[in-house]
Amino acid sequence: MHLKYESFIREPLVDGNKTYKDVTADICRPIEQKPSKLWYFGLVVSLLFLGFGAFSVFWEVYWGIGVWGINHTIGWGWDITNFVWWVGIGHAGTLISAILLLFRQHWRTGVNRAAEAMTIFAVMCAGQFPIFHMGRVWDAMYVLPLPNTRGPLWPNFNSALLWDVFAISTYFTVSLLFWYSGLIPDFATIRDRAKTKLRKRLYGLASFGWTGTAKNWQRFEALSLVLAGLSTPLVLSVHTIVSFDFATSVIPGWHATIFPPYFVAGAIFSGFAMVNTLLILVRKIYHLEEYITMGHIEAMNKVIVLTGSIVGIAYLTELFMAWYSQVVYEQEAFKWRVLGPYWWSYWAMMTCNVVSPQFFWFKKLRRNIVFSFILSIVVNIGMWFERFVIIATTLYRDYIPSNWSYYSPTWPELGFYLGTFGLFFTCFLLFSKYFPVIAIAEIKFVLKTTGDKAHEDNLALEEKSLEEFIHIAEHAH
Amino acid sequence: MTDRFEVPSGLKKTGLVLSLIGIITLIAGAVCFLGKHEETGLVRFWMGLMQNGIFFLFMAISSIFIQAAAGLAQGGWIVAYKRVPEAIGANVWVFGLLVLIILFSMIFGLGDHNPIYHWVNPHGDKVLEGKSTFLNKGMFIGFSVAAVGLWSFFGRKFRSMSIAQESAPKNSTKLYWKTVSLAGAFMVVYGLTMMSTTPWMWIMSIDAHWYSTLFSWHVFAGAFVSGMALILLWTVYLKNQGNLVLVNKEHIHDLGKFMFAFSIFWTYTWFAQYMLIWYGNIPEETTYYNKRQNGPYSFLFYLNIVVNFVGPILILMSRPSKRNYFTVVFMAMIIIFGQWLNLYLLTYPGPSGHNWNISWYEMGIFAGFAGVMILTVSKTLTKSDLIPHNHIFLKESVVHLS
Repeated sequence: MHLKYESFIREPLVDGNKTYKDVTADICRPIEQKPSKLWYFGLVVSLLFLGFGAFSVFWEVYWGIGVWGINHTIGWGWDITNFVWWVGIGHAGTLISAILLLFRQHWRTGVNRAAEAMTIFAVMCAGQFPIFHMGRVWDAMYVLPLPNTRGPLWPNFNSALLWDVFAISTYFTVSLLFWYSGLIPDFATIRDRAKTKLRKRLYGLASFGWTGTAKNWQRFEALSLVLAGLSTPLVLSVHTIVSFDFATSVIPGWHATIFPPYFVAGAIFSGFAMVNTLLILVRKIYHLEEYITMGHIEAMNKVIVLTGSIVGIAYLTELFMAWYSQVVYEQEAFKWRVLGPYWWSYWAMMTCNVVSPQFFWFKKLRRNIVFSFILSIVVNIGMWFERFVIIATTLYRDYIPSNWSYYSPTWPELGFYLGTFGLFFTCFLLFSKYFPVIAIAEIKFVLKTTGDKAHEDNLALEEKSLEEFIHIAEHAH
Repeated sequence: MTDRFEVPSGLKKTGLVLSLIGIITLIAGAVCFLGKHEETGLVRFWMGLMQNGIFFLFMAISSIFIQAAAGLAQGGWIVAYKRVPEAIGANVWVFGLLVLIILFSMIFGLGDHNPIYHWVNPHGDKVLEGKSTFLNKGMFIGFSVAAVGLWSFFGRKFRSMSIAQESAPKNSTKLYWKTVSLAGAFMVVYGLTMMSTTPWMWIMSIDAHWYSTLFSWHVFAGAFVSGMALILLWTVYLKNQGNLVLVNKEHIHDLGKFMFAFSIFWTYTWFAQYMLIWYGNIPEETTYYNKRQNGPYSFLFYLNIVVNFVGPILILMSRPSKRNYFTVVFMAMIIIFGQWLNLYLLTYPGPSGHNWNISWYEMGIFAGFAGVMILTVSKTLTKSDLIPHNHIFLKESVVHLS
């Protein structure tokens, strides 16, 4: 056996001197209890939003795309802004579960389950926008390259928009598999604790008859690694391809080679902010402060300041290159972004995305719950503005001044956006009631290394000399 | 337990011989190329120095970067061989100084019609005149001196703080947290130099009309992957000498993962830049790739992808290959060659055109820099115990599993 040791300088990731039994009980509690009034209230509000969204979409499908505020010059408005925004948010989950798994970051275990769920729901929200942007939504299936009776009619494989269809559906599928396969042992735990027959039956079905044998675990671990390996390139590819939607064009402000990595950094930035928003609420409402600790929130805040600064460098690089290029169209595009009628959206983006995360250089603020919560929302406001700046405020000044335009959303666009919030929170509330919001099995896996009890036991090892320590490590069992 | 390194006479000899080859090549190059007063010779002489100098400097700075990155991420895995990046980082100033001498000579010594940096005198070129607020001698000196100065400072500071930890009380965390702050400060510097202004000024401005927003990140990716390869070479060398007793396959596996992952990241940036310019098909932009993909550089252009992408992804993909000393050392050499080639393709085609060479001169200068690297880094390595006994994460590094 390998010596389980971690330096004293790392803070415990599980507090409260937990045993394996406590871990199971604590995380299953919200599932086994009746939901609180707050939960019902949240669900009703979310369903109302979802209903309004459905009505807005119905209105748009019935009357046509003309009920939206987009126009001939600004052909992409809130719809594509919201699409990119939601897809971006959908990045954190798989990043946490795949890349942090490969990096052996133990702190992922506290947050990965909820983050993956968030990813899946966010991608579901994102997918709505391009579909309903089509207007004649009953023709949506034409994006699929199926053998057909339409003769030689195929989608345009040269189009980045089609690549998006493949990228996002693949990402969704793999994320869903990853999330679900992680849930299997936990479903079995809930099944084994179930008091009613129906519960036992349903969770038994969901757990695929998991029995927890060594063979089960072996296959489970192998599958996790394979899916992590598959997801890692997907995390990077999805937003890369979303950035191609813009960067493959020759529109000044869109045609920039920095777009792919900068979109990925921005996506991770907004995704982590959304994870923080949700988890700060979840830990409070379900009393999971001992599993989602200040250390977890601080770690995510560190990722936020890192990715926020990367995005900041990208903004400044774009701005600099627009000038440096000495191409008048590039220069004008950025002049209109920064100083034009939409100046407020550019400066909102800069303030929220580049300036505000810099506060997280300070440890006090990284570990302040209220501040982290507010900032996580500020970041996502900023990231929404980023997409709006890229889309609407690039299109609104066309080459020909007679095409210049301005754009404001109409109520069905607004309703559509609010509706996706309804969908997102409906799904998340149902998830948090019926699914374990923290990966029980994975917490148990790291408990003996990163729990506060394990840390206390390790203090004796800190006093040992290097030779003694090596001796202990070699004879650990 | 102590782990002192003494420079074996063989290594010292190798370093001296390589440096000597460098000096002889330089003199021979000066005689052959500068004597005839022809532009092609002049370009070849300076390009050889510049491309090799920048290559070694960027590779060395990656050692500071990885210390800062591991510091901020609280990485325990690197501690077993921490002295290696420390020693490389502490010698960044040597390469920085050499590069500054080379670059300033090129800015000031190549006359009115600078064959490499056309922007030195725009001669009525509207685009270059427009860029002259950024591309001028004063800015060039300012940015270059500041960048090299800061890198040199941080490189030495990281090492000296790590050495100071050895005489601090056992399990004292004061210096540890100071290093974390230092790492944060370095990241800001790094973002504003290596990931933006420095590659624009030194490399992108060779093709002075052309621009790409991704350029510096691409250069960074290449520098970082070659830097990790260099750390691996030194680590395995020291291990073979009987030093670095704490290092085992787990640590080598980590370095292998970095070489694998960042080879792919390099390819990602390469592809993003290439594909978007190809797809956009704007003549002002495609001219850059047209020069490289078609014509005399065509073979090198495709070789670049094979060496830096196809090789690493196929060979380093599997777990056993990343844990095999021979394979990782072989691949580290391949990657260093590959990234050298990549920098060659970023710098040469503009000024050299059809008159490109990879011959005695280019290789001789490379040997010279390699000699300097061997002599300086090995000397620094002898100055302290190779085990950072008092480091907070040392014990984690002992039980580290990749």
